[in-house]
Amino acid sequence: MYVSTFLSLPSYGAFLVSPIVPADPGTFSIIEKVLLAVLIMLSVVLFWLRFGVVLDKILKSRRDPSFRLTHLGKRAWDFFSEVICQSKVIRQRPLPGLAHAFVFWAFLAFALVTTNHVATGFGLDLLGSRNRSGWVSIAFSDVYFGLAGLFAVACAISIAGLFVRRFFARPTWLARPDHELSYESGVIAGLIFALMATYLASLYVGSGPWAHGLWWAHTLCLLVFLPLVPHTKHLHLVLSPFTIFFSRGSFSAIPPLEGDEDFGLVAGKDLTQLVTLQAYSCVECGRCTEHCPANNTGKILNPKEVVLGLRSYLNDLGPASEEPLLGKYNSQEAVFECTTCGACEFQCPVGIEHLPIIVGLRRGATNTGAWEDDYGGKLFNALERNSNALGMSALERDKFVQKQELPIFDGSQEYCLWLGCMGGYDPRGREIISSFVEVMRHLGATFGVLRKEKCTGDPARRLGNDLVFQQLAEANLEALQQQKVKKIVSICPHCVRTIQEDWKEFGLPPEVEHHSEFLARHRAELPQSNSNEKVVFHDPCYLGRYRNVYDEPRSIASLAGSLVEAERSRERSFCCGAGGGLAFLGEEQGERVSHNRAQQLVATGATTIGAACPFCNTMFRDALAASGDNSPRLLDIAQIAANQIKAAQPAQVAASEN
Amino acid sequence: MKIIVAIKQVPERDARIRIDSGNKWIDLEDVEFSMNESDAYALEEALQLKEAHGGEVIVVSAGPERAGKTIREALAKGADRAIHLQSSDETELAAYDALGVARLLAASIQDEKADLVLTGLQSDDLGLGQTGVILAELLGLPHASLILKIEVAGNGLKVLRELEDGWFQHIELATPAVLTIQSGNTKLRYATLMGIKKAKTKEVRVIAVADLVASDPSLKPTAPSVVLDQVKLPHKQRSTQLLGGSPAEAAAALVEKLQFEVRVI
Ligand code: SF4
Ligand code: SF4
Repeated sequence: MYVSTFLSLPSYGAFLVSPIVPADPGTFSIIEKVLLAVLIMLSVVLFWLRFGVVLDKILKSRRDPSFRLTHLGKRAWDFFSEVICQSKVIRQRPLPGLAHAFVFWAFLAFALVTTNHVATGFGLDLLGSRNRSGWVSIAFSDVYFGLAGLFAVACAISIAGLFVRRFFARPTWLARPDHELSYESGVIAGLIFALMATYLASLYVGSGPWAHGLWWAHTLCLLVFLPLVPHTKHLHLVLSPFTIFFSRGSFSAIPPLEGDEDFGLVAGKDLTQLVTLQAYSCVECGRCTEHCPANNTGKILNPKEVVLGLRSYLNDLGPASEEPLLGKYNSQEAVFECTTCGACEFQCPVGIEHLPIIVGLRRGATNTGAWEDDYGGKLFNALERNSNALGMSALERDKFVQKQELPIFDGSQEYCLWLGCMGGYDPRGREIISSFVEVMRHLGATFGVLRKEKCTGDPARRLGNDLVFQQLAEANLEALQQQKVKKIVSICPHCVRTIQEDWKEFGLPPEVEHHSEFLARHRAELPQSNSNEKVVFHDPCYLGRYRNVYDEPRSIASLAGSLVEAERSRERSFCCGAGGGLAFLGEEQGERVSHNRAQQLVATGATTIGAACPFCNTMFRDALAASGDNSPRLLDIAQIAANQIKAAQPAQVAASEN
Repeated sequence: MKIIVAIKQVPERDARIRIDSGNKWIDLEDVEFSMNESDAYALEEALQLKEAHGGEVIVVSAGPERAGKTIREALAKGADRAIHLQSSDETELAAYDALGVARLLAASIQDEKADLVLTGLQSDDLGLGQTGVILAELLGLPHASLILKIEVAGNGLKVLRELEDGWFQHIELATPAVLTIQSGNTKLRYATLMGIKKAKTKEVRVIAVADLVASDPSLKPTAPSVVLDQVKLPHKQRSTQLLGGSPAEAAAALVEKLQFEVRVI
């Protein structure tokens, strides 16, 4: 066949030594054609029997009232990067990710190949693989099929590798709760391999009975594959492009409650179309669980199971059910173990947004009073009565402000320095504030603090108490507006996030930045140490994943010496265990997250741990104290900067005296 | 069981307070208010009794319009309806002493014929601790004060009463009765969004103090038996003593001081 092709097209032959097209399967009898048509119909019907049900559940779910199809440019870019280029899949797990990408790209390449393949069965020659004439057919026959062949090789190798990984290497996060292997994944992998193998073989055999047989083999694989898709986790093939395109648009976006009957995710009737779509998109890859600090330290929370729990609920009860979501399908205890660190949402390759789901479930429990927790109740009462999470008297904050001689904000200063609960009431937090104030004074920045400041509502927000959150947000917004505050700077990433994003539901917050951003802008004016100190910086979840700020705090931490990195750092940073209101709840199950993370940081051999969040700071201080004496120093970046200023001063004095 | 809980709105704990120009009360401007602490525990007891035995919880509060916020909070936590004995301004009720206020409260709840009336032990602002017990007298009901625990026993109640120095008293009494509740023995529930939304539809009967007085002239404020003469902020006293000597001597001196001077051990 090649020979004849070659001879009939001498001008191309000069460039392409062996133009590649699938072997001609020959003619199909009328019985074969009828059989083919029946099989296709059967396959499509079997596909639809399941897919139709899923689609119906998605469409019958409550609409997302706050969803807007805006930012089309960003959506298109995310789609291109995450779906087409498989950026997330590859970046977070390079080898298996690349293998997956090759399978995906081969599928794309095969769109035309498959259409052409099926058409051949009905005697059509869409791409001219049989009657090679005209530029279209030449382009396809001589280039496209060959290219598809290359993808097929890559895909076959990849799927074989993934098969070996799943069934022989068996990473724990792929496990199902019952520890059974997913045999359907094996079948699917076998089918994909067979599809590629039959295609590749068809490029090498000549036309004749072999080609005919291969054609049928390829076709049967296809027709079995199609209905398997919606019946297995391979449903993500169809759904995840939509999930990614229709994302809520920002990280951990907690939708506003709508109307008087919305208390969060209480029952099936509260599941929105986005949540249902996401629940059915999960590909059970377990990346979320692999990175979950709670799951890694022996808690029962498993973000993958949270998503799959919703899916089982939807399968069994549907989106109109009044049955509570927390109970048989998801446990309340698990949901309240989440630190809202966001590692899961950040990792998920199919665009599932865990935080709106987990916080949504918490809202459902807290807003209706179903969550009964001694510590939680105490926290909420403290927030209501004292307006700070530590439950201390506001007089304590006043005393601190007086003692530190912090100016009161009166509109004449550039910054409103937000103390936050930790900065205003906690001894360690106050130390950070004092250091930051020293640095601000050194830099000549003007600032003032509010006379009265309430908690931003972060712990209430994350624990799902919308009543307290709203009261706090509104009161603070009003106070800031009265004082005409334009810019806030805060030492706490939780305050920054809550002010900037979560308060938007109730008004327009002033511009707000984290002190690392402020300090980084003035990096040049801060003295650099030339000691051989090794500094490891711990990325706070709410600064890194939530705000995308990674380099600024590092640039300040590096004032103290040279930076080393922990194994998990930047967007893969491991939580300190305090987020999501958990700092105020009772003792953890299993190992403490903070101890685990502190060990990771100590393991770098650093002599200083740089922190940028008062919560991380307290957590690590306790963890380090518990672990023994020769632990590294723990300093907030503001303390690092202040120390540098202090260290440089005597030298300057000496220099000026000379 | 029909339970009435008398609640009072008081200046928030730990609020920064100033004495007003007349030296008779605190300057209420800029002060935030909340539910009197022991009243919050009384409400919690009532709600738990209702959850266990069924019935109705009604809150009653005497105060100006702002007290409505505290009333709604009580409704949000689970009370079924409320009676707001509303004064026209901040000063109208100041003309009454504890007896006068108890008379007003008694008049506003008499018709309810409740099985149980609960109040907090005392208010965080005036701290008289009398309103509840006077109310019992006026209603002609048995009462017990400083109650930590209430159990239903047959047709009556079994209650646990706190005495001094770690002593307790178990009392049985028949209903209807009046109990004043001590803080701290149970956990307070938090107000929820759902509770607040439901509270909007619950009944709050507003009775103006003036109307009540007009209907029954005996309720008019008489010359109060107790007069608030002057209020002062507590003086800050700080005395620090360094105890010298060996650690053992210092510890012995410390124990002696704690025992005989400060009398905390
Ligand atoms: S947010 Fe963090 S703690 Fe919560 S489920 Fe996700 S990974 Fe786990
Ligand atoms: S939720 Fe996302 S990351 Fe987790 S298992 Fe499912 S697809 Fe993977």
